[in-house]
Amino acid sequence: MSYAHTATRNPAIVKLNRMRYRRSVGSFAAWLVVLSLFFFSIHYLNVPLERILGIFGRIGDVISNRYYPPDINYILDRTYFSYVIGTIQMAFLGAMIGILLSIPLAWFASWNMTPSRRFIYPPARFISMGCRAIHETIWTILLVSILGFGMFPGVVALIFFSVGFAVKLMAEEIEAIDMGPVEAMYATGANLFQVMVFGVLPQIRVALTGITIYTWDVAFRAATVVGFFGAGGMGWYLKRNVLQIESQRVAAIMLSIVVLVLLSETVSAWARKAVMKMQ
Amino acid sequence: MELHHQIQQQAEQVIFLRKRRKIILGSGTLIFLLISAWCINATVIQDTDWQRMGSFADMLRSIGRYIGIDFSLFSQLLEPALETLLIAFLGTSIGVLFCLPVIWFGARNITPVGNASYLVARLMMTISRSVHEIVWALFFVAVVGLGAMGGIFAVAFRSVGFIAKMSAEAIENIDSRPVEAIQATGAGTFQVLRFAILPQVLPQIISVIMFEWEINIRRSAVLGLVGAGGLGLVFFRQMNTFNYHGVTSVIIMILGIILLGEMASHAIRRRLL
Amino acid sequence: MPILSVQELQTRYTDNGPDILKGITFEVEKDDFFAIIGPSGAGKSTLIRCINRLVEPTSGTIIFIEREITKLSKSQLRRARRDIGMIFQEFNLINRMGVMDNVLSGRLGYTGNLRTLFRSFRRSDIDQALFLLEKVELSDHVHKRVDELSGGQRQRVGIARALMQNPKMLLLDEPTSALDPKISRDIMRLVKNMAEEFGVPCLCNIHDVALATEFCNKIIGLKEGVTMFSGPTEQLDRNKLNAIYAMEEL
Repeated sequence: MSYAHTATRNPAIVKLNRMRYRRSVGSFAAWLVVLSLFFFSIHYLNVPLERILGIFGRIGDVISNRYYPPDINYILDRTYFSYVIGTIQMAFLGAMIGILLSIPLAWFASWNMTPSRRFIYPPARFISMGCRAIHETIWTILLVSILGFGMFPGVVALIFFSVGFAVKLMAEEIEAIDMGPVEAMYATGANLFQVMVFGVLPQIRVALTGITIYTWDVAFRAATVVGFFGAGGMGWYLKRNVLQIESQRVAAIMLSIVVLVLLSETVSAWARKAVMKMQ
Repeated sequence: MELHHQIQQQAEQVIFLRKRRKIILGSGTLIFLLISAWCINATVIQDTDWQRMGSFADMLRSIGRYIGIDFSLFSQLLEPALETLLIAFLGTSIGVLFCLPVIWFGARNITPVGNASYLVARLMMTISRSVHEIVWALFFVAVVGLGAMGGIFAVAFRSVGFIAKMSAEAIENIDSRPVEAIQATGAGTFQVLRFAILPQVLPQIISVIMFEWEINIRRSAVLGLVGAGGLGLVFFRQMNTFNYHGVTSVIIMILGIILLGEMASHAIRRRLL
Repeated sequence: MPILSVQELQTRYTDNGPDILKGITFEVEKDDFFAIIGPSGAGKSTLIRCINRLVEPTSGTIIFIEREITKLSKSQLRRARRDIGMIFQEFNLINRMGVMDNVLSGRLGYTGNLRTLFRSFRRSDIDQALFLLEKVELSDHVHKRVDELSGGQRQRVGIARALMQNPKMLLLDEPTSALDPKISRDIMRLVKNMAEEFGVPCLCNIHDVALATEFCNKIIGLKEGVTMFSGPTEQLDRNKLNAIYAMEEL
């Protein structure tokens, strides 16, 4: 970066750059590192190269021998439907509580609006990073061991997941606002909370709605698998059939997950577009 | 006096409108709360085994089990940690290879066969992004058996969607003048791709790849839970043997490699961009 | 007794950075329309923002109606800011809200947190807002959103918002430089009329010397943070202007 920066300012270096000596050496070195890492990984992980090429054939084989035809009748049944509803409820609740927690956290974790850069900003950042760094399945397993089986730990895991997902995006939106109205609100003698309500929230309202819808979408995606680790919903159904090696039923369940997620993504994309239009 | 009367009238109207807005917002909130109550009832109140969870003190006790670190485990964690990093790296690399045709087909301005290829590529991107990594891993473990290979492919297939989508969008937003200039010299499709399009979007694409790599570390750390190697497998084992301090150690290790990956990607991105 | 008295004001943006203001001294009296002129980068905006501490001064004193602004605690500062209305170059309105809410936001300093959250302002505030909108000739636009208004209309909303505070002084930061010349003059005249009607002194930072000499009775000229001229408008002549705008074409 520093190299490119000086290059634009100093004409002598621009000439050097034209000779492309340093640049080609740099990119050569980068390729060398990437390639050697690539082959080291293949060696270290014992990946049989010949099977990589054959993988698509294998996929076809496995699908046609074991998963085809998917047992569609199995998922058309009422109990399964109630599990789908449960999954949706879990995602709704987890994402909603997560977003309600995310809004103040994002305020605290935004550099320009945080009440205290020294005491409140760092812990808020830490919480959001911690929630994001730990994968939702690990949250689920931990919470199941604390709260027992059922949808409750799933909801809590999805809350953590949503906080990790939404706080970063929201804080970035807050950091990108126009500070003019904020300044004007301060000038009227408003306190920080009032500045947030009048100066910041109206500016990020549309983005916030978009993020909310998006969070719902990804939370639903995550909700389809938390059951696999004991937290209720469709994932639990999946787990049972995987353990019983009912491959055709597994195929049907996977198919239903794909369809439902595609559906939720379509709805979410449509809703976000509608919100953007409303401004 | 006339003015005063007029303002009074206007104020009534303003207050009426503000009240109406409040009622609309309030009823929206109410509907929301009702849906939430329904969800809470179904997921939390009815579906929880309260007997088994026990009192609040029991719950605190089960949280307390995790406090403490099993230091003896760390020496055994280095190898799976490296494995996780390499699965993420290899998965991302193979994902990038798979991406190339998808990007080519999925960017509207360079897609070769018009609408058909564009739609096929978009569908592939959506499916790749929509399926959770755990589901991908279950599928690939079934295809290639237990071990790192299933994880690599799960990561690769999961990454294709995001990388391809962002890259295709970057290509759709390029400056078209250099493309025309190179086309005017009589260059073929691949020459145009290489000399007019790639230089414009490469920094963006690399940045997207680095970003995805960071996420992939997080993902490959859990794929072991369904039999795909790496730290997830150790986590699973600690959990099953009720070694709660060991679980904490694994989580610390996972956080460690994520931090490592983030630092590496930050350094590389700063160098490149 | 002046309303505002500024003594030896200095400020810089970073601890080791250069001084933006290098010791400014002036006083604003009860009926003044006080102009700050100078080339861009002279520190005009910084000076205005130091008065209500949107920018923290590093040294010097600012005395506003017997209050030493630089020594106030956070809550005292908020109370002092209620008495100082401010009008901005880019209007700084909340674009996604209506005219009414924008004007009412001038009362935030007098409104509790809960009322703010639900935007339920007092009836007296609504009456006053309508009265001021009448004064700035925006009665027909009460129910519109501010992003539907023209530049001049937006600045009128800004004026109404500032007057909503029942200020004891108005700060104007380049109120007309985003507007075309004719509308600029209208806005300046409106501000002057309002200031006279409500008995509020104004401190106005302005780029256009012609506007300053037309509307203001006192002028301070800055160049690179140093006072080049200070006194009644009549005393400002060609030579002094040349000193202020040394490098610029007039």
